[in-house]
Amino acid sequence: MGHSLKRKEDARFIQGKGHYVDDIQLPGMLHMDIVRSPYAYAKIKSINAEEALKIPGVIAVVTGKDLEKYNLHWMPTLMSDTQMVLPTDTVMYQAQEVAAVIATDRYAARDGKEAVMVEYEPMKPVIDPYKSLDPDAPVLRTDKEGKKDNHIWHWEVGDKEATEKLFNEAEVVVKEQMHIPRIHVSSIETCGCVADYDKINNHLTMYMTTQAPHAIRTVIALVAGHVGLTEEKVRVVSPDIGGGFGGKVPVYPGYVIAIAVSFLVGKPVKWVEDRSENLQADSFARDYHITAEMAGTKDGKILGTRFKILADHGYTDAAANPSKFPTGMFSIGTGSYDYQTTFMEADAVYTNKPPGGVAYRCSFRVTEAVHAIERITDRFALEIGKDPAQLRMENFIKKEDFPWKSPTGWEYDSGDYHAGLKKAMEVVGYDELRKEQAEKRKRGELMGIGISTFTEIVGAGPSKDFDILGIKMFDSAEIRVHPTGKAIARFGTKSQGQGHETTYAQIIAEELGIPAEHIQVEEGDTDTAPYGLGTYASRSTPTAGAAAAVAARKLRDKARKIAAYLLEVSEDDLEWEPGKFFVKGAPEKSKTIQEIVFAAYTNHPQGMEAGFEATHYYDPPNLTFPSGAYICVVDVDKDTGEIKVRRFVAIDDCGNIINPMIVQGQVHGGLTQGIAPAMYEELVYDEDGNILNGTFMDYLVPTAVESPSWETGHTVTPSPHHPIGAKGVGESPTVGAPPAIANAIVDALAPYGITHLDIPITPYKVWKALREKGAN
Amino acid sequence: MKTTIEKNFQVDEPIDKVWEYLSDPAKIVTCVPGASLTDTIDEDNYKGEVSLKFGPVKAKYNGQITFQERDKDNYKMQLLGKGLDSKGKGSADMLMNGVLVEKGGQTDVTCTMEVTITGMLAQFGSRLINDVSGSVFDQFVKNFRAKLAGEEVDNTLSAGSMIKGMFGKK
Repeated sequence: MGHSLKRKEDARFIQGKGHYVDDIQLPGMLHMDIVRSPYAYAKIKSINAEEALKIPGVIAVVTGKDLEKYNLHWMPTLMSDTQMVLPTDTVMYQAQEVAAVIATDRYAARDGKEAVMVEYEPMKPVIDPYKSLDPDAPVLRTDKEGKKDNHIWHWEVGDKEATEKLFNEAEVVVKEQMHIPRIHVSSIETCGCVADYDKINNHLTMYMTTQAPHAIRTVIALVAGHVGLTEEKVRVVSPDIGGGFGGKVPVYPGYVIAIAVSFLVGKPVKWVEDRSENLQADSFARDYHITAEMAGTKDGKILGTRFKILADHGYTDAAANPSKFPTGMFSIGTGSYDYQTTFMEADAVYTNKPPGGVAYRCSFRVTEAVHAIERITDRFALEIGKDPAQLRMENFIKKEDFPWKSPTGWEYDSGDYHAGLKKAMEVVGYDELRKEQAEKRKRGELMGIGISTFTEIVGAGPSKDFDILGIKMFDSAEIRVHPTGKAIARFGTKSQGQGHETTYAQIIAEELGIPAEHIQVEEGDTDTAPYGLGTYASRSTPTAGAAAAVAARKLRDKARKIAAYLLEVSEDDLEWEPGKFFVKGAPEKSKTIQEIVFAAYTNHPQGMEAGFEATHYYDPPNLTFPSGAYICVVDVDKDTGEIKVRRFVAIDDCGNIINPMIVQGQVHGGLTQGIAPAMYEELVYDEDGNILNGTFMDYLVPTAVESPSWETGHTVTPSPHHPIGAKGVGESPTVGAPPAIANAIVDALAPYGITHLDIPITPYKVWKALREKGAN
Repeated sequence: MKTTIEKNFQVDEPIDKVWEYLSDPAKIVTCVPGASLTDTIDEDNYKGEVSLKFGPVKAKYNGQITFQERDKDNYKMQLLGKGLDSKGKGSADMLMNGVLVEKGGQTDVTCTMEVTITGMLAQFGSRLINDVSGSVFDQFVKNFRAKLAGEEVDNTLSAGSMIKGMFGKK
């Protein structure tokens, strides 16, 4: 623990020896490509496969009508909505799957796709979520019996009346309308699978890009059990994954079609998306329209907040939230501040856009919540003319007040927000920067300083509240130590680049004294790994990491018994130091863990179970609440609107740190994915539902060129309930960075009366806003 | 994906001759790059094809052309073209308004074109569509002048000019 052990997995990754879905080659394997809709909303008049079938190598064109015969043309979403696998009559968004071409090689499949002729009758789509609720808007989900509008669900939390009263009476009320843009995870590896159905043994092996292989196996069994694919006949293998970020949690139609085709023809079928298909059709993230309000006193005491959300879910609610949380953990949006009055409500609507709402490197809508609270806090500071750092310091929940009950029902486990912000201010040189800013303002130069002091909520989650499709959100670890003292450990999670093979080994090493290099970590094969809900929402360390620690402790208890037997002393006479038990007062009388394990196979006490294995399913008692204090400094060119991020200081508190180097790497990546929606990324649709930036030519993913030099650091406030005091860090930077950047840019523009800009804040937006205010 | 282009140009020909060419589908269509008439339904409705090339992407639209207005007295016309991609990859509509004004023996032509594109081509975004449409329009003007001057017009697609258009070098 606490050591920057080099990542064990990197040896294969940096030598190009990773093994991904697209590396899988099976004898007789067929290839699939997918015909997609050019329209956002249209009736399908006909699908003509004649020309496609003439292409050498093309063997079949599969349509919704074909799947309908087996009742496989639709599937449930993780949010208990329904989604077409292939349409039988209507397409609901641009790039929707329309038909699948099966061929003997990938090129023939692609040629076949070009040759399939589809006749459509376009209809006027619903694109604007606000217009989706108009009484005269067409009802999109006519497949749902009795559906009379495009409303999906309403959600609310907090005290509506008390909040109204507070806002009516408060000295100061500020309000901003914000859009958290629709963005895409854009992982380096797109989605894909190889479905391999063995007709003789009635067994399906599904190699796929999934962050949650066990849950997927259960879903396949639930959806296809009626055709004989019961759960013991299904094996899901998730090999190396090139980034997931939440985008590889849902089940996409392509997977289901591949399974159906393999099932029907009895041959393996490979499907791998291209870059544009991934960007245009796979689950988007965010797309929340938020009205954020804060009430307080003139001298800067925050008294309450109110948030009203309109959630654009596209054609179906295919978000990946825990079942009971349609807005995920948006209710963390009261933030790091000590007040008890809030009201939050959300309405979700259907539009003719791709479905989704995945938690992009985020515990289910925390990014949206943090943006709203951190932006409106700055807005409040601006309104009353108080320094935003000072305002935060005065309103933070105090260290001694933890565990702290939030007005939306969470119990924050621990935190020291004052220490985090103080450290960030020292590192960045806050007071000098404010002086510099004042001087620059006198000269008419634009410089801004933005702060974000966020509280995260991760590690979903305790079984009393958290499930996905009814399956509780525990996670698991199984440790087997071989006679020579080397171990294999398997988990219900699945790394997509997070470094589990190293950090899990370090946790076990810490608890059991076996060197991390002697612990082989495996995940992703449902035939061998224990059941778990997978990796997303920074949950691996809080759940499976905890399971590893508890399972290792079970083994340590057994080791103590064996050591007592070998040393012929009472268990109580033994003391543990990492790697061995020794007799109290006689440290020369000791047994190493390796000796003890060997004895477990060769000389174990009579009556004791032989072997040295333990499994634990960890059901966390609470979530963990990491926090951070981020400060961003920007310089803005008044004439061109160009924004330069000069400094970015990120002080994270993720509790006890297992591997500082991996944490730093996570923070660097996450900050870059934070600057992305803050300044560059947004999926843009026109009024006809055409995506206007469906390739990386127009959808701007920041690269090293755009990334500032990140300055990272940490404070450590251990989680009191986690076995090793860790909290999880994967998503903190993605969640915390956008408001810091937005606050900095708005701070730079404040002299011109600009109080808010929606992200992504591009030079054009800045130039336009300044121009409207007569600044350039 | 909607884009509107407005162009104004002068031709050194009398207004009635210009009108005759502009309002005659057989003449005007042969000036549109990549376009051809395939069938006459009646005097206001025609069937035709338009091919477009955006760098590596080629699209061919089959559709109908309708004269919604042909007002010879005021030299005003409105033309609606509706096309479906022949491979089911999208559609393109074009509403064109043309007005002629006589200016000292010359004719002043003002054209506005409202182009709506759906599907794969629309995904290139306004950046490309504007440039390519502008380049197509410029080629149309060139062809139209040539036609009026009695020269042979070659309205086959010139990939070079499209690509030039894509990068904004007009």
